[in-house]
Amino acid sequence: MKRFRHHGPVSAAGSVAASVTLATAMTLIAILLVQARGVLDFGFLLGTPSRFAAQAGIGPALAGTLWLTLLTAAIACPVGVGAAVYFEEYAPRTRTMLAIESAVANLAGVPPLVFGVAGLALFVRGLGLGSTVLAGGLTLAMLALPTVLVTSQEAIRQVPTGVRAAAYALGATRWEVIRRQVLPAAAPGIVTGLTLALARTAGAAAPLLVIGAASFITYAPGTPGDPLTALPTRVFAWSARSQPGFTALAAGAGVVLLALLLVLHLAGMALRRRLAGAAR
Amino acid sequence: MSAPVTPPPPAAPPATPPRDGPHPRAPLLSLGDLSVRFGDRPALSGVSLDIPRGRVVAVIGPSGCGKTTLLRALNRMNELIPGARTSGSLLFDGQELYRRETDPAEVRRRIGMVFQEAALFPGSVFDNVAFGPRASGFGGDLHALAEEVLTAVGLWAELGEDLDVPAVSLAAGQRQQLCIARALAVRPQVLLLDEPTTALDPTATARIESLMHAQLPHLTIVIATNDLRLAARASSLTAYLDRGELVEYGPTETLFTNPAHPRTESYLTGRIP
Repeated sequence: MKRFRHHGPVSAAGSVAASVTLATAMTLIAILLVQARGVLDFGFLLGTPSRFAAQAGIGPALAGTLWLTLLTAAIACPVGVGAAVYFEEYAPRTRTMLAIESAVANLAGVPPLVFGVAGLALFVRGLGLGSTVLAGGLTLAMLALPTVLVTSQEAIRQVPTGVRAAAYALGATRWEVIRRQVLPAAAPGIVTGLTLALARTAGAAAPLLVIGAASFITYAPGTPGDPLTALPTRVFAWSARSQPGFTALAAGAGVVLLALLLVLHLAGMALRRRLAGAAR
Repeated sequence: MSAPVTPPPPAAPPATPPRDGPHPRAPLLSLGDLSVRFGDRPALSGVSLDIPRGRVVAVIGPSGCGKTTLLRALNRMNELIPGARTSGSLLFDGQELYRRETDPAEVRRRIGMVFQEAALFPGSVFDNVAFGPRASGFGGDLHALAEEVLTAVGLWAELGEDLDVPAVSLAAGQRQQLCIARALAVRPQVLLLDEPTTALDPTATARIESLMHAQLPHLTIVIATNDLRLAARASSLTAYLDRGELVEYGPTETLFTNPAHPRTESYLTGRIP
């Protein structure tokens, strides 16, 4: 009998591929950390942008990104999961419906920049929101929506048909089957999709630049109606400057963004584990 | 008239007459020319039969003959399958169940169903039992109800009187017992058992059989099975289905010992044409 850990050529190639992936990520983080040395302190985290590199901070951008992530989650989660429930449980399996469904799913491949253009027309000008945090949140929610939808649909499809049949056979209505069996069982998968989508939107600079993120704001946004600013656009603004010191600032903001994504993933994992535990 | 049975006999003269309905002797379920199609494929063709109250009716026949479709037609489960169409009539206590205004969820509360695969809900034994009553807005003591139905299926003592046991930790036979318990928790008048013992060993099968009899005569049971000996032991009436048609229906003893139709006989003797 073969040993469980068999070291064949496939396994060797696999471990080389894994090492390369890991090394790339580690190098990236190492470069950022080296460049950002001496920058990361409380003054940097809480401070405001400045013409003088030594005094500059990311306070408003950090607050903006937290706001944006919160808004994106609050909009994309109910809409995306709701649409997934509709497509999987209610929508008739007609050709039109399947076409709509695949069109929405294909939005996941549309470049974020294009969502920025749409957001500019729809929210900034159409709804007259201006270049605010709310307009940014709505734009990023559009960007997150296809991912949330597709992963939620997949998670809903994974719920065994036997469980649904059993629930119906006990006299449950469709909504009760969805609410009490399908959604709880699909919840861990939905959280995975939401985490992925939020990671994508939290790091997106392009759509925010298109809808007019301010590059110089000296106060942190306190409400969704305040002017839009975010970490990725902050990184972009600093990396475009040639004076010494600003490269380090851009790297520092990049490190903070990475740390934020790490926190997001850890929170997602913890939530998923809790939900999976509740559904077992 | 009823088949000889090993576990508790099916209380031949019911001690208490069934409470529901003004005519205790009238059939509880009456199928009139009931047909089901899935798209272009007919699955059940013009089945007419009466199911009396408080009895066990067995449905036998080769795989794919329509046993499951017949059972699912009785509580409108087929309409969950896209493309399924049902025609004919199904009277339950004299009321037509296939009417637009009839709520299928209400039908399924009266006519419960247990499947071959014991598809348990995630969570504890209690979560499984409580789902049905909660869905139908049960306002009473769920723990007392759970204890009652788990006792009825013989699981209560076995689980150490603990409702918080994770459902996934149960053995195959216990899972099917739990499925029956959770169906009973909705207090149906009819229980449809779709090959409930196929995945079980003889000991577990015997338990399911005896718990079925313990529910009589308050419950009417329709069981689809490939286990001919189980059908012969447990039922008082048997229907033989072949290719979606009802070939023969009558008292189990007569059907098994002296079948009226040659097709029934060749199936029972294992000579399927």
